[in-house]
Amino acid sequence: MIRIWLAGLVRRRAGRLGVAAAGVAVAVALLASLGAFLASSQASMTARAVRDVTVDWQVQVQPGADPAAVLDTVRAAAGTTQAVPVGFGQADGLTATTGATTQNTGAAVVLGLPYSYRATFPGELRTLAGTDQGVLVAQQTAANLGVAPGGTITVNLRGGAATSLRVDGVVDLPAANSLFQTVGAPPGSQPNAPPDNVVLLPEARWQDLFAPLASGAAAADGVHTQIHAARSHALPADPASAFVAESGQARNLEAQTAGAAVVGDNLGAALDAARSDAAYAQVLFVFLGLPGAVLAGLLTVAVAAAGADRRRREQALARTRGVTTTQVLWLAALEAGLVGLLGAAGGLAAAALVGWSAFGAVRFGATPVAAVGWTAGAALVGLLVAAAAILAPAYRDVRSATVAASRRTAPDARSRDRSPWWARYGIDVLLLAGGGLIVWSTTGTGYQLVLAPEGVPTISVSYWAFAGPALLWVGAGLLIRCLVETTLRRRRLVGRVVGPVAGRLASTAAAMMARGRRPLARSVVLLGLALAFAVSTATFNATYAAQAEADAQLTNGADVTVTQSPGVRVGPEAAPPLAAVPGVRAVEPLQHRFAYIGKDLQDLYGVRPDTITGVTALQDSYFQGGSARSLMATLTTAPDSILVSAETVKDYQLLPGDVVNLRLQDSTTKQLVTVPFHYAGIVTEFPTAPKDSFFVANASYVAAKTGNNAVGAFLVDTGGGDVTTVAAQIQARLGASATVTDIAHTRSRVGSSLTAVDLAGLTAVELGFALVLAAAAGGLVLFLGLAERRRTFAITTALGATRRQMRGLVTAEAAVLTVGGLVAGASVGWLLSQVLVAVLTGVFDPPPASATVPWAYLGIAVAVTLGGLGIATVGALRPGRRAPVALLREL
Amino acid sequence: MHRGQDADLDLVICDGASRTFLRGTVRVPAVRPTSCTVVPGMRVALTGPSGSGKSTLLHLLAGLETPTAGTVSWPGLGGPPQGRPGVVGLVFQGPSLVPALDVVENVTLPLLLAGADAVDAVSWAHEALDRLDIGGLARKLPEEISGGQAQRVAIARVLASAPRLILADEPTGQLDHATGERVLTVLLETADELDAALVVTTHDEQVARRLALRWRMADGVLATEEIS
Repeated sequence: MIRIWLAGLVRRRAGRLGVAAAGVAVAVALLASLGAFLASSQASMTARAVRDVTVDWQVQVQPGADPAAVLDTVRAAAGTTQAVPVGFGQADGLTATTGATTQNTGAAVVLGLPYSYRATFPGELRTLAGTDQGVLVAQQTAANLGVAPGGTITVNLRGGAATSLRVDGVVDLPAANSLFQTVGAPPGSQPNAPPDNVVLLPEARWQDLFAPLASGAAAADGVHTQIHAARSHALPADPASAFVAESGQARNLEAQTAGAAVVGDNLGAALDAARSDAAYAQVLFVFLGLPGAVLAGLLTVAVAAAGADRRRREQALARTRGVTTTQVLWLAALEAGLVGLLGAAGGLAAAALVGWSAFGAVRFGATPVAAVGWTAGAALVGLLVAAAAILAPAYRDVRSATVAASRRTAPDARSRDRSPWWARYGIDVLLLAGGGLIVWSTTGTGYQLVLAPEGVPTISVSYWAFAGPALLWVGAGLLIRCLVETTLRRRRLVGRVVGPVAGRLASTAAAMMARGRRPLARSVVLLGLALAFAVSTATFNATYAAQAEADAQLTNGADVTVTQSPGVRVGPEAAPPLAAVPGVRAVEPLQHRFAYIGKDLQDLYGVRPDTITGVTALQDSYFQGGSARSLMATLTTAPDSILVSAETVKDYQLLPGDVVNLRLQDSTTKQLVTVPFHYAGIVTEFPTAPKDSFFVANASYVAAKTGNNAVGAFLVDTGGGDVTTVAAQIQARLGASATVTDIAHTRSRVGSSLTAVDLAGLTAVELGFALVLAAAAGGLVLFLGLAERRRTFAITTALGATRRQMRGLVTAEAAVLTVGGLVAGASVGWLLSQVLVAVLTGVFDPPPASATVPWAYLGIAVAVTLGGLGIATVGALRPGRRAPVALLREL
Repeated sequence: MHRGQDADLDLVICDGASRTFLRGTVRVPAVRPTSCTVVPGMRVALTGPSGSGKSTLLHLLAGLETPTAGTVSWPGLGGPPQGRPGVVGLVFQGPSLVPALDVVENVTLPLLLAGADAVDAVSWAHEALDRLDIGGLARKLPEEISGGQAQRVAIARVLASAPRLILADEPTGQLDHATGERVLTVLLETADELDAALVVTTHDEQVARRLALRWRMADGVLATEEIS
């Protein structure tokens, strides 16, 4: 019997089976694609974290230990590819004489580097001027001393000795924070900032200066050796596993050296940080992916439900012919299994294709175990969806209904007129209120969705925060259904609304929709939620992309940024020649100074407030105490205004209007002069500025007070043109006098490891699935619903309805579904977009002032939905080959 | 309630009309060239074994099928009834009520399709239901009434439309004998009341005997025309 039933299903119900399997396939494909996303993103997070580490290990030789022995141990450690010694020495200060003036600095650090250091650790030093080898000074030191390559500095060693050195080059130290870390100190005890003054010497010269001190009484006073090691980057793909493996090796080395060395594990620290990004990736999966998978499951159930009456009648007929309830369930299980297996196979194949095209690899998990888990999990979900769609209704029927009741095509009058229990108790409203309350409470002060304490292996994810959006999804779905059912009950209202399309049959159309309001309301819910999924996902992704772009622009400054090399002094007059470069739309000079507030040294940016916004985007979220526009206006109207960091406001208890006295270097005397400013507002982010404290002031005022209008950088706007070409042209014109960076290069480097590459894949997958779901929820559900009513249409046609009248009846229902779905999708999508951006705020850097709405994508989503509905409507109206009366005999 | 058609003209004239269906590549003749005429007030039982083509001939008379050869014309009805709701009254073998509409809404449907005012249509529908003594079912849904009641509602739908030609395709085929008898009685009374011609396809001898004329069909051919 089973074989006959199966053959009958395949032969007679192939279309319906195929559609149900396609629904299952969408759910499975979405889940498996998300597995591929996680696998891809975690692997790239590890790779990116590793790539950004300049020196993997800084092994500090402890006082009294033999550096050579420690070097041998590090070289012999498993995974070490190269290791070199680096000398660290302290000087009381540096002195340089330029022209008639002499500049002195405070304490300085003097490093001794072996010749091979730059080749081994290319990211540690970047030559800004002069040669790559010899005596090098850091950029800020060169600025403080006013020296350039060829100049002379005097190093005042501890103990009174001094030695003069000819400067060969000026370098930038991009990884200064980790280079000058206190090895072995906990994160909270690390220095706030790297030393202001740094000199780098060849190893031999450093030995000449510091070897006598290292062996003497001053050895404990800052003279020491570190072993800098490059490690193998063949690590587990998952950042958490890589962190455990790498930090274990570091601890192992410390154990081997028995106290002679302490490992500064930069590689481990980077992986440690990447773990939280990996956790965020999982969180994104839950927030952005699961609703889609659940929707695909619901869609499948709805597709199966469209044929439920027929299936129920068939099973009732089988029962009247003597088939037992167990056998009926077996037959339903067989159909569910067939749909589930077909769907799972199709879904996994589709996911493999998606993974290959979006992420460049067919892999559903970061590790083999995870890959098997994701594959099996996704397939299991497919089977469960099929079981929920086909087996569960059959089980319900055989358990609770008589054969006669099963043959009915609609619920009885009593259950038809009663509201569902959840509507009677207001569960939908309660869920929405509860969801809102949770979102409000979890996004409050101090909220952190993912917490990965440095150095601690465990990661804490606030899964409670998921409850808010989850309740909102469910509550919104129930509320939509309730509202649609309530509206459809009001037949006069519906009749008036559909009057323009249904004509004299408006009341008939309203009556049909009122009686069939449950399936119609379910269709509206599905369409609304599918559109809400598309809206919220697209809005989140667009906001993320906008903020990633803002981050890139903050880091680079503008499309192209020209940073003057130390010692090269140019004023704003250098801007017009840059503006003449083909492809350049506008050029904006930006001063960069260092200013003391109290004993703190901070960056100061002098801007032309009336024109700066023409070349770089200033978001309101970068400022407090006013909008970007209003604060720039303040800097224009009151040139002595200054914007400071929130930390500075707190440290110095500043109130708006307070005088802030900064000490800046005077261009003539090279001495620090006090320049008074007035505190006007808080700045948290600014193009090219560091993440920590800095000032923003009016460039004209700074130039007037210091006698120096030198520009630190020129921000170049290309108007969206080819930034790489423009940057190359400018670099060719300026040569070594300036460093030119473009946003395209910066974009690929900035941010956390959870940036463009990974999310772009997720975005493509999700937005694609959202379109499929929206089109299917609109078109497929409508078509199947209409197809189930072929009898109604056949009767109406047999009674003499014209094609225009039939079109009116079908279009009226399609119109209600369309309007209801679009309104529900837009409102719920908007709500969930706001919630997603609020709950996932930790993902954004910088935080957005408001969500970015991707109108183009939403337009496509609406067009696809309308297209699906239109095709379904036309398909339902397509004249059949059979006379309606003949059709009536078969139905 | 009659519409203005010429009372003296023949209602339907089949002139060598035939209907052939395609089953894959095989041509299957359902009705071979047939000529017949339905005149006003006629009572015809169209009998024959299953597959003899009687339903197809009925569909040709109703304008629901187009003849493959020959012609069908409706001089007494003012032209083809297709797309003109209420010109021909149809009663089917199986359930023919729209499941989502209640009884009175089902009865008003052909009136609304014909362009009647909604208020008038409801009034006529109630009148028709009352005449058939099923006014109490007005707000019931088709699934809430019995098969016999459903056929009476289908007849009320015909009565409300007041056609000059009623075509019934095995109207008692799915009913027990007693119920079938009652339904046929109602159908005949309705035809009498409307002074409409009535053509009923049936297997049932007792049904056929209650109609004045009998047309027998065999293998797609209208073989005989006799008085019952």
